[in-house]
Amino acid sequence: MFSGWNWVAYGFYLVLNVCSPDASSGLVQSCGHIIPESPVLALGSNFTALCILNESCLDFGNIYASQIIWKIKNRLVPKEQYREINRTVSSVTFNDTSSLATPLTCNILADGQIEQNIYGITVTVGLAPEKPKNLSCIVHQMSRFTYVMTCTWNPGRHTFLDTQFRLRYSWPEEIFPDCIPKDVNDSCTITDIQFFVNTEIWVEATNALGKAESDPLVVDPIDIVKPLPPQNVSVSSGVLPTVLKLSWENWISDAVMTLKFNIRYRIVGDTNWMEVPCEDTAFPRTSFSVQGLRPYTEYVFSIRCMKEDGVGYWSDWSEEKTGITTEDQPSKGPPIWRIIDTSHSPACWTVHLIWKALKPFEANGVILQYEVTVRDKSSLSSPVKKYNVTSTNHTLQLPEGTYEVTLIARNSVGASPPSVLLIPASNSKAPVKNLRTLPKHDKLWVGWTAPNSYVLKYVIEWCLVSSSSDCIIEWQIVLGDVQGIDLKGIKPFKCYLITVYPLYADGQGSGQSVKAYLKQDRPSKGPTVQTKKVGKAEAVLTWNHLTVEEQNGFIRNYTILYKTIDGNETVVTVDPSKTEYTLSSLTSDTLYTVRMMASTDNGSRTGPDFTFTTQKFGKGEIEAIVVPVCLAFLLIVLLGVLFCFNKRDLIKKHIWPIVPDPSKSNIAQWSPQVPAKHNFNSKDQMYPEGSFTDVSVVEIEAEDKKSFSEQDLKPFDLLKKEKSTSEGHSSGIGGSSCMSSPRQSVSDSDEGEMTQNTSSTVQYSTVVLNGYRDQTPLQVFSRSESTQPLLDSEERSEDLSGGADSTAQRQQYFRQNGGQDETNTDRPCFERTKQFTHANEGDLVGFVQLQISGQSSQPLGLGMEKNTQEAALSSVLQTCTEGQTVRPETVEENPLPVDEMPKSYLPQTVSQGGYMPQ
Amino acid sequence: MAAADSPSAALRRDLCSRGIRLAGKMRADVVDLLDAYVEQQGLDASAGVAAVEGVPLAAVERWDEQTGTQRLLENLAAYRAFRALLAQMLEEQREQLGEADAGLGRALAAVLLQVSAFAYHLEELLRLESRGIPGEEGDAPPPPPRLSLFEQKLRGLGVLRELAQWAVRSVRDLRQLAKPSPAPGLPESP
Repeated sequence: MFSGWNWVAYGFYLVLNVCSPDASSGLVQSCGHIIPESPVLALGSNFTALCILNESCLDFGNIYASQIIWKIKNRLVPKEQYREINRTVSSVTFNDTSSLATPLTCNILADGQIEQNIYGITVTVGLAPEKPKNLSCIVHQMSRFTYVMTCTWNPGRHTFLDTQFRLRYSWPEEIFPDCIPKDVNDSCTITDIQFFVNTEIWVEATNALGKAESDPLVVDPIDIVKPLPPQNVSVSSGVLPTVLKLSWENWISDAVMTLKFNIRYRIVGDTNWMEVPCEDTAFPRTSFSVQGLRPYTEYVFSIRCMKEDGVGYWSDWSEEKTGITTEDQPSKGPPIWRIIDTSHSPACWTVHLIWKALKPFEANGVILQYEVTVRDKSSLSSPVKKYNVTSTNHTLQLPEGTYEVTLIARNSVGASPPSVLLIPASNSKAPVKNLRTLPKHDKLWVGWTAPNSYVLKYVIEWCLVSSSSDCIIEWQIVLGDVQGIDLKGIKPFKCYLITVYPLYADGQGSGQSVKAYLKQDRPSKGPTVQTKKVGKAEAVLTWNHLTVEEQNGFIRNYTILYKTIDGNETVVTVDPSKTEYTLSSLTSDTLYTVRMMASTDNGSRTGPDFTFTTQKFGKGEIEAIVVPVCLAFLLIVLLGVLFCFNKRDLIKKHIWPIVPDPSKSNIAQWSPQVPAKHNFNSKDQMYPEGSFTDVSVVEIEAEDKKSFSEQDLKPFDLLKKEKSTSEGHSSGIGGSSCMSSPRQSVSDSDEGEMTQNTSSTVQYSTVVLNGYRDQTPLQVFSRSESTQPLLDSEERSEDLSGGADSTAQRQQYFRQNGGQDETNTDRPCFERTKQFTHANEGDLVGFVQLQISGQSSQPLGLGMEKNTQEAALSSVLQTCTEGQTVRPETVEENPLPVDEMPKSYLPQTVSQGGYMPQ
Repeated sequence: MAAADSPSAALRRDLCSRGIRLAGKMRADVVDLLDAYVEQQGLDASAGVAAVEGVPLAAVERWDEQTGTQRLLENLAAYRAFRALLAQMLEEQREQLGEADAGLGRALAAVLLQVSAFAYHLEELLRLESRGIPGEEGDAPPPPPRLSLFEQKLRGLGVLRELAQWAVRSVRDLRQLAKPSPAPGLPESP
């Protein structure tokens, strides 16, 4: 318990010692301190620090040097580096200060492992300055009387410390103020310079670790001067056209130094400088005449200077000044050439004389005019013509002949030597051979092989070929020993036409031409192709040549690419001279896409797509089909017409049948006893095609009824029923006719009963049952030439039946085409329209056959009279339109017994119950 | 000839050459300074200035009969005097104008440096002549009496004019010295 209180008191004491103010040593009195205090150490050296504890701490807190621990920036220093010198002093040693850091602290590890800082120091590690090296100085002239000396040096390695550099200089008996560099450590500028005294200059570098001095530089500042360049340079032309005088001012007096100079000059626009030889300007002067210049040429001059003995530095070049030399007479005559236009008349030439302006170094001044002299060499008596021209061309109208043209250029000083051009009557001399071109960078080389004869000169003409403008000729004359030149100013991708003429002493050779490109490219556009003609399996394509501006090179070939929509592309290469091509083996009625590509040596360009569709039929195919068809049609029509013509009577009969006049009917002749009342069943109107239906008249006696088999009588029963039914609905034949089924043609033989009656004509007939059920039988078969009386009689019979039921005693049976069974009774009446009636005029002799094949489409119960008439008419019409043949049959021709299958009806004598005219 | 080729002879020649150019430069600068001084001080360039006390005169009789050493000693005495006079002028200039005309002060300082440099050249040449260099204290001129401001200006004008004269004479003296001397101490041919 006591021990614990001791430790508390100890800690409190330590805190008080560290933190509490002390009257004698300031605010804080620590328990110790470190020696040395904040040292500056050389990097890489060893270092030992001592921590010395105060005696007062020892007495109270039991603190000893053995408890000291060292730390570098809170990092514990290994205890191997500690050494306890005595009970209050502990040392720490570092073999290499590079491992040091700030701060270095001395701490106490008291009992209870409480770590308490005693003291700390700041350690600065760096390097001593190195000896500055490579000291050099230069004196710059700032103005006429002002010089500054700038010295530079190599400061050496970085010291990590604040290092001061100072430039020092002195005379033996004079020490000058130091020059301290600002913001830099490797140069300084001295503004107070005295010449002609050797000055010792050196650099001193100082920091906390030491001082270093450079080797002294002993120099007279006058020997390191870089003077200002000569000022106020001026250029003036002299008397001679090849001399310019250069004048200037020196800004250094001779008392300071004498100078030598360096003069350079160049032609304006040229980049290459020329220099006046140094020995010509190696002494003090303020002017110099530059010789050997070109007349009437503008030159640029510049000058510099340095100390005459060559010790020091050259000044900068002075500002550039220009001057122009005076004019001189032209040094040579202008090159001259001609273009002869004989388009108007071969005998009268239009001669365009063209010449080149002299180059500046040839003209030697401003050319004021040209003098052209033309002499007709073919006629000695012709006067010499002279022309004064200010332009570089002149046009003459000359008759065909040989001329000598002389040209002189004149400036303000004099005239040039003459240039002579011989214009022969014809270019009959040998031309050059093997004319060829070769691109060389941005120039086009033109070469040729000389003719065998001696050539004086060659004229090379070239022009840019254009589709929109004339070829503007450029030309050049070269000497006869030249066999190739480089054409300059040639544009790439442009076509040039180059022509070479050899000029002989006594004439001129014909020109040889070649087309050339400096550089080729692919065409700027592709050809636009279109079809000229499209057939079934071929198409003729046509296109226009690309213009020369679009070609960009020699068109080597055209390529046609065509394909169907889903097919492979077919490629055809076409000669570049063609503008048309026929595609063959195409598929008919197919859409094709075609495009065209033009190719040069450097690429291709494709034109727009063009589509076309091949024809479905080839040429003549339609004609081959249509013409025979038309011919056949015409033939058929003709045959039809002929046929109709032949059958006109028959047609007429069908179309416009002869309508019997009812008033002239004579039915009484052959059925007088037949009562008016008879059934006019429509079933009887059914006839086979083109044949009459035989009407079998069965007279059924009531007594004999049983003699027939049941089979045979059944139809009669049915008929009776039908009749009674019909009567139940309507009275008269109208109802019966509509209820009855239309008679089928003979061909409808599937019905058994129908086969009983083969084709026969149904005649208007009436069957009157005789003696049915105790009534007076009537057996009357009436035949009439007209329906009208029958209708009348029918009406009457209807009236009759309407008055009494006596009509029920009659049984009528019409067997047509084997009888009509009940299955057809429900058919609509209008189907009967398919039936037709045949009427033969021949039949009209004995009787009139009137077939009533269709009765009426009207419902049952309508007026029968009307229906019957219409039906008769329609039947006749149908006969005509359907072309049914009429097979007239007469009873006489087919006399058949009644018990058999009667196929004809003969007028009968009125028997019992017969019809009698009334 | 052997003396001419020795290092001392080369050094002498170099010192003479450099001294000649320095004297020439000094004269040019003094002439320029004179113009600035006259303008700055408000003096008339044609103002006649009598001999100023303490200012050595360049004019000498029988100049061509002087020996080289004699020439050097007279030059050294004169330039030491000029050094003191110029230093005094510079101080007076600073007192009068302060920093108002730094250009004139810089020019005076430059001439003062040149005078000092030339005196050093003379001392070196005297060493080469194996002659002792006279003490500066003994030759020092007496302190100039207190002068009025105008008198100071006139004295300054006189100093500069005389310095310009001395510069010309010094060039001639050194050219004489630069010539190979037949024997030291003997009078030189003109």
